[in-house]
Amino acid sequence: MSTPTLGASALRIFDLSLGQMLWSRRSVFLGILLGGPVVLAALIAILTRTSLGAFRINGAAVGGATIFGMIIWLLYIRFILPILGVFYGTSLIADEVDDKTITYLFTRPIPRSAVLLGKYLAYLACTVLLVLPSVMLVYFLIVPVGGGSIAAAFPSLVMDFGMLIVGLAAYGAVFALVGARIKRPLVVGLVFAFGWEPTVLLFPGYLKRATVAYYLQALVSHEMPQDSAVSLLMQVFHEVPSVTTSLLCLAVIVGVTLWLAGRAVEGREYVLEQ
Amino acid sequence: MTTKTRYFVIASLLVLGVGLGTGLVAYYVGFPAGAAQRAGGPEELQYIPHDATVIAFANVQDVMNSQLRQKLLQALPMHEAGQQEFQNQTGINIETDIDRIVASLNPDPSNSNTPGQGLVLARGRFDEVKIEALMRDHGAEIEQYKTKRMIVVTHVREAATADARYPGQSFAVSFVEPGFVALGNASLVRSAIDLHQGGNNPQAGLSSVTGNDELMALVRSLDSGNVWAVGRFDALTSRARLPDSVTSRLPAITLFALSGHINGGLRATVRAEARDDEAANNLRDVVRGFMGLAKMQAGSNPSAQLMMQSLELGGTGKTVALSFTVPAEVFDAVGGALNNRVPKNNH
Repeated sequence: MSTPTLGASALRIFDLSLGQMLWSRRSVFLGILLGGPVVLAALIAILTRTSLGAFRINGAAVGGATIFGMIIWLLYIRFILPILGVFYGTSLIADEVDDKTITYLFTRPIPRSAVLLGKYLAYLACTVLLVLPSVMLVYFLIVPVGGGSIAAAFPSLVMDFGMLIVGLAAYGAVFALVGARIKRPLVVGLVFAFGWEPTVLLFPGYLKRATVAYYLQALVSHEMPQDSAVSLLMQVFHEVPSVTTSLLCLAVIVGVTLWLAGRAVEGREYVLEQ
Repeated sequence: MTTKTRYFVIASLLVLGVGLGTGLVAYYVGFPAGAAQRAGGPEELQYIPHDATVIAFANVQDVMNSQLRQKLLQALPMHEAGQQEFQNQTGINIETDIDRIVASLNPDPSNSNTPGQGLVLARGRFDEVKIEALMRDHGAEIEQYKTKRMIVVTHVREAATADARYPGQSFAVSFVEPGFVALGNASLVRSAIDLHQGGNNPQAGLSSVTGNDELMALVRSLDSGNVWAVGRFDALTSRARLPDSVTSRLPAITLFALSGHINGGLRATVRAEARDDEAANNLRDVVRGFMGLAKMQAGSNPSAQLMMQSLELGGTGKTVALSFTVPAEVFDAVGGALNNRVPKNNH
C-alpha cells in the first residue's frame, strides 16, 4: 500500500479536525467574540431608530457605512483577527501535545507536515465560516443606519471579506509556526499580536514591515478611524504599500511560515509529559 | 465530517449566500437601504424637475430661532433695518413667515454659459395680494398657467449693458397652494406647477427629482440637519467657465453633499464622491494634510482646539467625508471680539 500524498493526507486531517474545532470549548469563546459585534450592531440599529436618533461621534452625526468601517477597523482588524490567529493558530499542534493525542496522528502513515496543514485548513474553514456571517449580519444591521445604502457599500463588503480571509490565513500561518516551534506559544503570540504589531506601526521606519497588520491595512477600503492619540500617530506614519505588494507579501508570509512550521513539526521530537 | 458539522457548514454558507445575493441584487438594481424606504427628503422635492444639478434645503424656522443666530444678531445687529424694509415691501417677515425653503439649480437648455436656472420653493405665511401688487408696480405681468396665476417679470436688457451670457430671462412667482410659493426662472416655475398638478409621470415626460436616483441617494444619505445641499460637482464646474489652470487643479469630484445642524453651534458634514478610489485616496490625503495643519494652528486656543478635535475624516471607497463641529464657544469668542472692536472704532 502506497503512502497517501501530502494533499490527500491533509484533507483527511482537515475532515477530522473541522468538527473537533467547531464543537470544542474554544468555540464558545469564538461565539462570544463574534457575537459581540453583532449584538453591538443590533443595539446601535435599534437605538438610532428609536430614542437615540443619529449616531454621533464628537457631536457630529455619522452614517451607517462609516460606523461599519469603524467596526471593521476597531473590532475585526485590530482585535478579532489577531486573537483568533493567536488562540487557534498556536494550538494547532500544542493542543494535541497537551492532550497527549499527538502520537495517534504521528503514528499514521502520513507525512507529519500533513497534520499541521490539515489542521491549518480546518482552522481557516472554521474561522472563515464564523467570521464572515458575523460581518454580514453587522453589515445589514449597521449600514442602513442614518439612511446608508446597502447597494453603495456592497463593494466594500466584498473587499472586506477578501481582506478578512487573507488576514485569517496570514495570522493563522504565523501563529501555527509559533505553536510548532516555541514552548509557550500563547504568551509569545499575544505579545506579538498586541505588543509588537501595534507598537511598531506607530513608528516611522522599516520595522513595521515585520508585521502582518502593515500589509493587511493596505487591503482595508475603510478610512482608519481617528479614535485616540495612538490612531492619530498611526495616521501620521500611515505608510500604505500597494494592494499588489500587500497581497504578494501576505502570500509569502503564509507560504514561508507554513513551510517552516511543517519543517518544525517534521523534525521536532515531542516529549509528552506524564 | 459529522452530520452536525455538515449542518453548521451549510447554515453558515447559506447566511453568506443570502447576504451576498441580496447585496449583489441591491448593487445592480440600486435599491435603497430599506426595501420599504420612501423617497426621502422634504415633500417639496417632488415639484423640482428631474434634471436638477444642485438641490438645497433650509429649515428657516430652526435657523432663525437658533441660539447661534441670536448670538450673531447680538454681535452684528446692522441687518434689522434691511429686514424691516423687506417686510414693508413684500409683507414677508423672514423671522416668522417662512418655515422652510427648498432650492434647486437646473441646467439652462438655451444657454450653456451659465451655471443654470434657479427655483426656490418656500413654505410659510405669505401676503399674496401685497406681493403681487408690489411686483406689478415693478413692471411684472400676470400670466395664467393652467389653473395658477404667475407673476412674471421679463428682464430685457439694454444692448449696451447686456451681458451676452445672460440674455432676456423671465423671473416668476406663483402661489402654488396656500402657504406654498414657487419662485425663480419662469420655465422652472411652470414645471413646478406641472408637477404639482400632474405628479411624477415619466411616461408623460414629466418627472421630478425624486426619480433622480443619483441625487436622491445623496439626499437619503444625509443626516437630519436643518440645512443641507447636494449636487453634481462636475456639472457645476463644467458650466462655470473656469480657466483651464483652475479646472486642472480641482479635485476629481463628481458629487457632493453638505449637511449642517445649526443650533448653539454648528455641526456639519461635507461629503464628496470622487471619480474613482485613487482620486478619493488623493483627496483624503489632501484633507488629512490640512487637518494636521489646522490642528497645529489651533495652538493653545481652547475653542479652536475643541473645533479641531471634532474634525473626523471618514468615508469608504470613492466617498470622502469630513465632519466637524463649530462649538458655541467659537461664536462667543467671535462675538466678543466684534463687541470689543465697536467701541474702539467709535473713539
